[in-house]
Amino acid sequence: MLLFLALLDSPEEQEKFTEVYEQYRHFMWYVANQKLQDAHLAEDAVQEAFLALARHLDQIEDVHSPRTKKFLATIVRSKAVDILRRSKPEEELDEYLTNQQTGEDILEQYLTREYYNQLISCILELDDSYRVVFEYKYIYQMGDAQIGDILGISAKNVNVRYFRARKKLQKMIQEEVDRFAKA
Amino acid sequence: MQKHEKLSKEEELLAQVLEECLEEDLSFVPPEREISRKHRFSEEFEQAMQSIQDEILEELRKKEARRHFSPRYGQWAACILVFCVCGWLLYCRVGGLTGSSGMEEIADTAEAPAEESVMEDPDSGAGNCITDGQENAEPEERGLETGASEAVGEPEGKDYCDQIVYPARDQEVPEQLETVTTRVNCPVLDEDNPVLMLTIGNTGEEDVRYLDHYELEVRLEDTWYQIPSEGEWKGEWLTLEAGMAVDKAVDLSEYQIDYDASQYRLVTYTGDGPLGVEFTFGEVFRKTMEELED
Repeated sequence: MLLFLALLDSPEEQEKFTEVYEQYRHFMWYVANQKLQDAHLAEDAVQEAFLALARHLDQIEDVHSPRTKKFLATIVRSKAVDILRRSKPEEELDEYLTNQQTGEDILEQYLTREYYNQLISCILELDDSYRVVFEYKYIYQMGDAQIGDILGISAKNVNVRYFRARKKLQKMIQEEVDRFAKA
Repeated sequence: MQKHEKLSKEEELLAQVLEECLEEDLSFVPPEREISRKHRFSEEFEQAMQSIQDEILEELRKKEARRHFSPRYGQWAACILVFCVCGWLLYCRVGGLTGSSGMEEIADTAEAPAEESVMEDPDSGAGNCITDGQENAEPEERGLETGASEAVGEPEGKDYCDQIVYPARDQEVPEQLETVTTRVNCPVLDEDNPVLMLTIGNTGEEDVRYLDHYELEVRLEDTWYQIPSEGEWKGEWLTLEAGMAVDKAVDLSEYQIDYDASQYRLVTYTGDGPLGVEFTFGEVFRKTMEELED
């Protein structure tokens, strides 16, 4: 526990941490509870989220900004996903072995204004374990090591999960585009 | 929607979509107050979060104390000191092997004027603050004093700034113990730092006892001598909490000091033993203080 506390470098950061806790703990619990449907597990997710936050408090510039609220939502959702994965170990797959899916990575082709609506609906349906990786990477522009630190996995596994997320999103968009074409 | 740097056009679009989706998800979340009315956190959660925050606070306090008393400075100073001593020894050794006669010549020429000045003005010792009490005393007195000190086993006193100073009780005093450290605000006092501040820091996890008193000592010919204070002795044992530090302003006017002497130290006492921290005076400051005293 002291390892992450070592990163709160100043009384200002400690104050920031307390302020975030006071202002957003109920919001974070609600987000976690939506995912977990269990009040106690949701509290665990909030607690784990705050432990992770202490290591990455530099991501928060203004406690009251909408970006902070989004970042906290991402962290607590990723912790809720972790808790779900732990509670269903049979669903946990070896991250290294699951990158054997075939098929070309053509996601870039769909990342255009033309497919904007399809992208929105696919992201909303995308599994949270993939979506949070995208959010950390693209919204908050965090590196693999930082993301791995929050998720409790190695940077290499973050990269694996990221490519799986790309493949999944690509597949979903392809299906969505096909359905749209047929209609 | 914020502009994302370092992202390609496609990635930026994906970031925009992700943000929009996140905003949509969060738009269904009721306000914090409403959630707090519906959900009350369990006692375990509140306790766990409280302990996390307490640990953060504790860690910060320790960090602050550590930052204040970084041992790195002491290590650097020790390294430089060792380097200087080794260099000096090597220099003497090489000098002794290659040109000992030259060294003797230098020593002879350096001693000659001093001897002459003593011959010319035997009272010149009054002008020079640091003198050997034994040398200045009359032979009879010297004999009496020596006899007296031998009889009672008292340490030899030294004449220093019109007063007799005696060797300090502890010659070897560490600057820091396992959990207690002493420092002065500035190891070289000068015009920018004329006020001497002694700081005692407790870097440990338990409270320590310390004596609310310090002793000023001067180093004369490799021996530390305690300078008597003209102030009132009012030391009492106090408690210094874990992770805390205490500052004590040192009033140098309570002492008769020779600003030319090279080394001084302040010694304070803790429950674990004495602690000492050295300091000296910058040349300009030295002159200013001497002028003020004159």
